[in-house]
Amino acid sequence: MDISQEQQQDFGVLLKQGAEGRVFVSTFVGRKCVIKERFSKKYRHPLLDSKLTLKRLNAEARCMTKARRLGVPTPVLYAVDPLQHTLTFEYVDGLCVKDILLGFGSNGINEERLNDIATQIGNAVGKLHDGGLVHGDLTTSNMMIKNSTNQLVLIDFGLSFTSTIPEDKAVDLYVLERALISMHSSCGDVMEKILAAYRKASRQWCATTNKLAQVRQRGRKRTMVG
Amino acid sequence: MRSFPVTGGRSVSLALFSDVSNSRELLDLMQSGKLEPEAAFINASLVPDVFPVLAAAHKALLSKSRESLTTRTLHSELVYNCSGSKHITESLKRCGIADDTQYILAARFDASDEEMKALEKLISGTEIDLSELETRADQPKILKQYKITPQELSISTLPEAIVCRIAARDAL
Repeated sequence: MDISQEQQQDFGVLLKQGAEGRVFVSTFVGRKCVIKERFSKKYRHPLLDSKLTLKRLNAEARCMTKARRLGVPTPVLYAVDPLQHTLTFEYVDGLCVKDILLGFGSNGINEERLNDIATQIGNAVGKLHDGGLVHGDLTTSNMMIKNSTNQLVLIDFGLSFTSTIPEDKAVDLYVLERALISMHSSCGDVMEKILAAYRKASRQWCATTNKLAQVRQRGRKRTMVG
Repeated sequence: MRSFPVTGGRSVSLALFSDVSNSRELLDLMQSGKLEPEAAFINASLVPDVFPVLAAAHKALLSKSRESLTTRTLHSELVYNCSGSKHITESLKRCGIADDTQYILAARFDASDEEMKALEKLISGTEIDLSELETRADQPKILKQYKITPQELSISTLPEAIVCRIAARDAL
């Protein structure tokens, strides 16, 4: 307990804690920043643990910056620390799409805003997929809307990877669809709006949407054995 | 001259000079290790803002505290870190100064006022305000050097794009 408190002071104020890491708010050379720490898993062999953690840390940094290069807004990466297993990035001031949509559910839908968000999601995912990048965890809590510009920002590339296979992209969209159905069914068919924007943004939409129909029938996992 | 706190109580002082006439001399002094006080000279036309330099300084201080500098000194590490490439010689050549560089950003870690004055004396040029960085930056050269695409620029500012490359370099 003592150790974790000490670490928290080191990195800043704890914002969120997940299974793979913790997120802190801090400052980086005078700017407000977010520090994401992947902590070590004590149940793993130390050597394997540090290799896995480092590999995932670097993969996340790579994917985030690749997304930016493709024109998809993600937080600016400020620093990577391979020793402390931390990523430091820009603090995005805004709400996550999940909270906004849940707000629509309880306070009534702002149709214009909903359309704008859905279009931005479809655009961003389309650009990502065309560039051969799969997010891997497209849920509404991994999308934020910047307060100042109303711009969509994709966060948490911890599960993303590069792939050009329609299957992977379709599964990416399917995960988003399931998330929308389970969390935000009161907002109407958001997925339809997202897919409409996706078709406009992606040149390979045909193969992906065909595959998506297949994935819908059988679920996220390709094989049903074991 | 302005000083910026970086990390762990350490700071970096930056001073910007235009119309520098003795860059060859500065380069010789630096390469022979006789530069007193020791400092880093950065090709300022590649720097559109102080933030990328501060990110590079942060990275350099971190490596220094772990005794894992890639280059020989803390100040050369700063120049190397300003580049998005892992090629040391090439990075020092591009982000550092050449014989005929006239527009120079000088940097020194934890500098006292006397040290910065001594440094100003060494450089024969006009000191200008750091706010000039943005207007004087050579954008086409920066885009080429850091491989920044128009798509990226549509969602990002130039300094932010550079910071991303500085940060992600060792993860690539």
